Amino acid sequence: MTTPLIEAIRNQAVHIVLPKGDEGETISLDAIATIAREHAIPGYIVEAEALRNDVYPTRYLRNMDGITKNDQIRLLESSIAQVGLGGLGGSLLEIFIRTGIGRIRTADDDDFEETNLNRQALSTLGNIDCPKSEAALERGSLVNSSMKIEAWNQYLKQPNFQDFLTGCDVVVDALGGLETRLAVQQAAAKANIPLVTGALAGWTGYVGVVMPGQSGPADIMGHDNAVEEILGCPAAAVTFIASVMATETIKILTGNHSTLAGNMFVIDLKSLTFDTVSI
Amino acid sequence: MGIEIKCFATLAQFLPPNGDDYPIDQGETIKSLLAKLGIPEKEVALFFINSARAYLESDIKNGDRIGLFPAVGGG
Repeated sequence: MTTPLIEAIRNQAVHIVLPKGDEGETISLDAIATIAREHAIPGYIVEAEALRNDVYPTRYLRNMDGITKNDQIRLLESSIAQVGLGGLGGSLLEIFIRTGIGRIRTADDDDFEETNLNRQALSTLGNIDCPKSEAALERGSLVNSSMKIEAWNQYLKQPNFQDFLTGCDVVVDALGGLETRLAVQQAAAKANIPLVTGALAGWTGYVGVVMPGQSGPADIMGHDNAVEEILGCPAAAVTFIASVMATETIKILTGNHSTLAGNMFVIDLKSLTFDTVSI
Repeated sequence: MGIEIKCFATLAQFLPPNGDDYPIDQGETIKSLLAKLGIPEKEVALFFINSARAYLESDIKNGDRIGLFPAVGGG
């Protein structure tokens, strides 16, 4: 059945030679934005409908076949809850908004400080002393206005975890420090939502995927001070860990098997060694 | 053939020069190995033997690959 939305998408579709050499239909950023406005719906819904009708939004054209058409539709129709907008959180947000995840809810109550500039992708010379949550919204509007970002300027504690996680498909733990990580893991388990977690110190780190009811890195690492207070967090290590976390999140959202479920991926960039440890 | 030891992050300072072929005694456990290496038990959050989580009392045998990982939580 052709709906007014599908008709509008088809009217704006442009026939081109696709990157793999075959021919197909694409739709531009401007066309998506116009249709979204005229139909009073978010851009990600227009993009998902376009893909369903074999019209590829140009902004996702280079995701194929790494992220297939059906994967891309699933991502656009997904919702994630990301705790933390610091080092891992800033890099993760950048990946998620470019990848095309439809809805992202984030939370962080911190303002940027000068010491964040070494690694935190959302921090700039212009936003020191400004809320990280505002920078997240700004970055979203600059890079991908089709998606919906919610940024809560608050430190999540019980009982507001439940509201934060409502309707989300995956929880992403991008916190700094160990204090709240176990609470996030427990809240995700209670809400029956998979958790992707990661942390680092110096050139060493880990990524874990915790399915509801499983134990995870937060059960092992404790709540006390950790060695990042000695070794710091260099940008290259932060972005590496964030990249692995984002990849596992995408796998879960697209229904692909996460090989890290129940495991910790232990990373040492100095010796360039990787261990998958069952926990 | 002994064992291979991998000490992560701040624990790297405790890695012996022969950490890639370290001799062990009969009845060696993670606990006795830590004592030999001079690593305080409280400084290790995760032990693993051949890619499986291990514990202080876990037995170690020749050919094993041992990982010692401190509490890490930075982001």
